[in-house]
Amino acid sequence: MTYYRTTMIAALLSATAISGAYAADPIKIGVVTPLSGTYAGIGQQVKWGLELATKEVNAAGGIMGRQVELTFEDEEANPSVAVQKADKLFQVGKVDFLTGTVNSGSTLAVGQVAERAGKLIATTVSFADSITGDKCSPNVYRVNARAGQQSAALAVWLSKERPKAQVFYLGPDYEMGRSTVAAFKSSAEKVGASSTGEIFAPLDSKDYTQYFGQLRAAKPQVLYTSVAGNDTVRLFTQLQEFGLLNNLTVVGASGTVTAQNIGAIGKAAEGFVTGVGYSAEIDTPENKKFVAAFRAANKADPDLYGADSYGMIYAYKAAVEKAKSTDTDKVRAAFADLKWSTPQGEKTLRAGDHQAVQTMYVVRVTGGKFKIVSQVKGEDAIGPDTCKRH
Amino acid sequence: MSGAVEYFQYVLAPQMLIGLVLGIAVILVALGLTIIFGLLDVINMSHGEFYALGAFIAVALGTIGLPFWLLLIFVPLVMLPIGYIVERGLIQRVFHTSERHVTTLLLTFGLGLVLEDTFGLVFGPNPYKPDIPIAGGVEAFGIFLPSYRLFLIVIGGAIIAAVAFMVYRTRLGAMVRAAAYDRHMAASLGVPVQHVYAGAFAFGVALAGLAGVLLAPIYSVFPTMGRDFILIAFTVVIVGGMGSIAGVVVAGLVLTQVQAIVSLYISPVWSDPIVFGIMVAMLMVRPQGLFGRLGHG
Repeated sequence: MTYYRTTMIAALLSATAISGAYAADPIKIGVVTPLSGTYAGIGQQVKWGLELATKEVNAAGGIMGRQVELTFEDEEANPSVAVQKADKLFQVGKVDFLTGTVNSGSTLAVGQVAERAGKLIATTVSFADSITGDKCSPNVYRVNARAGQQSAALAVWLSKERPKAQVFYLGPDYEMGRSTVAAFKSSAEKVGASSTGEIFAPLDSKDYTQYFGQLRAAKPQVLYTSVAGNDTVRLFTQLQEFGLLNNLTVVGASGTVTAQNIGAIGKAAEGFVTGVGYSAEIDTPENKKFVAAFRAANKADPDLYGADSYGMIYAYKAAVEKAKSTDTDKVRAAFADLKWSTPQGEKTLRAGDHQAVQTMYVVRVTGGKFKIVSQVKGEDAIGPDTCKRH
Repeated sequence: MSGAVEYFQYVLAPQMLIGLVLGIAVILVALGLTIIFGLLDVINMSHGEFYALGAFIAVALGTIGLPFWLLLIFVPLVMLPIGYIVERGLIQRVFHTSERHVTTLLLTFGLGLVLEDTFGLVFGPNPYKPDIPIAGGVEAFGIFLPSYRLFLIVIGGAIIAAVAFMVYRTRLGAMVRAAAYDRHMAASLGVPVQHVYAGAFAFGVALAGLAGVLLAPIYSVFPTMGRDFILIAFTVVIVGGMGSIAGVVVAGLVLTQVQAIVSLYISPVWSDPIVFGIMVAMLMVRPQGLFGRLGHG
């Protein structure tokens, strides 16, 4: 009996799908994002950003007269869950487009699901260079800045602030840690810095003091680190405890010091510098309007994830209106070198690797808050297109 | 020759001193674990979460203005009744079955999971960092050590000595050792074995809580912090001899020195495999550990 019932339901479902989209049918965007678990805080920003932009677009008449409808699925920051949920949204939910993946593994895995389903996806959060590099896909877009853009921006700033700096590297010993250190090292050495040593500490190290002997012996002027979360709290406060923060410029990955851990790090975070694609401090009318609307809607400041997710809806709107269709191939053609405006200014989706080119910002912790200290033009931070699947 | 002296002074000696601080921290966590194992024959898988509980109580009381020095006394005192209730209310109920190693291990493991999630629900996932109670540092012979770490070595040593004195040199300790050696004989001689068991468990988790207060300013406080020390603490207990206090001290100091010195020469990710390798080798060659069990010599 159940068999017949499921086939009946399947038949009914496919019948509604075949009946085609009326002009008034909503455009469906699936959102696979972590709403629970370690990355729930990021997923929250993604949700807020997407919902705010969708509300604005719908209030202004939607996309080509069609309302936009978001469907959320919790991926628990787990690529295998993300794959199931994405499959469900494509096959059962019949979404036109998909976004929201946070960790890079999820983005890569969901990208393959999208290829099989013949649909397009965009990440608004994932940093791993490979997503628009050696693991690029014709169906995957990234509207946020990747790790390489962040480190290039930071390196440009460093070369001006501390020319020919002696840099010591300390990263967590796993893929993200090693790739961020390698990326910054190559960017920094291109602009004249040199290396005095590197250490990869196990993830969740409790005591970084055991590496301080090597750090002290190397006599660096600059320390680059890409530890994150609680590890940052320990590293920074232990550096302070041992008096090593004096005369040392500490720079790092954009995920090293965040809203989640800056309170616990306290004074030890002062002076930390990083490169980011967005800051709520950006002093433009567009961004001020966005920040005000975001605060009014969510009682919280937007971070880079919220801002980039907000911008993503406008990228899709611009592409669909240019293509005059939600058809995958037509939208893909429209995305090629698409320019659209976002809270952080105009972005361009590079045709080759599907990576957004945008102005990058260098921010420094001052009085417990990130302040913008420098800007780097999009073309100076983007780096070459290494995607081989054009 | 002067090169070797300089190497010792600027590289090896500071590294060994840092290893000593870590060793004291590990011993503080492992002490309670070994007492509970030696006496109750219970492998307390929730020991790390009791360490975290002590730290969280300290954070909560610290935010309402209690000074650190008071917390050092107050938190273990709060932990004592908690430990007593857990032993009487939970562990005793599954203790008297033939499968008691399995049931108590699973029970304490489950308790640890419940505690960890409760911390997350009550305090949120973000870390807290209490201020270091003693600022500044001491420099001697070119070796720098933050004052608070020096204080940790001193107070840690005092706590270890006090615990050893209590267990080996007092009437209370004699009762505990007697109950560990032969609980039926001890009971027939008038030792209130049930209360000794619950009391020893409470004492063990109070020590974990005290370690939580002492280490919070260095390692920060967050829901999964209990996992930090638990593997190395278990290793120390196994290598030292399960239930032995002297064993915990010796193994704790030796293993952390091995970690500290090894991380100078090879990639730090190897320091854990080396220590666990020592544990495996110990279990194969001398399963009872360096020293015997509590009450057994």
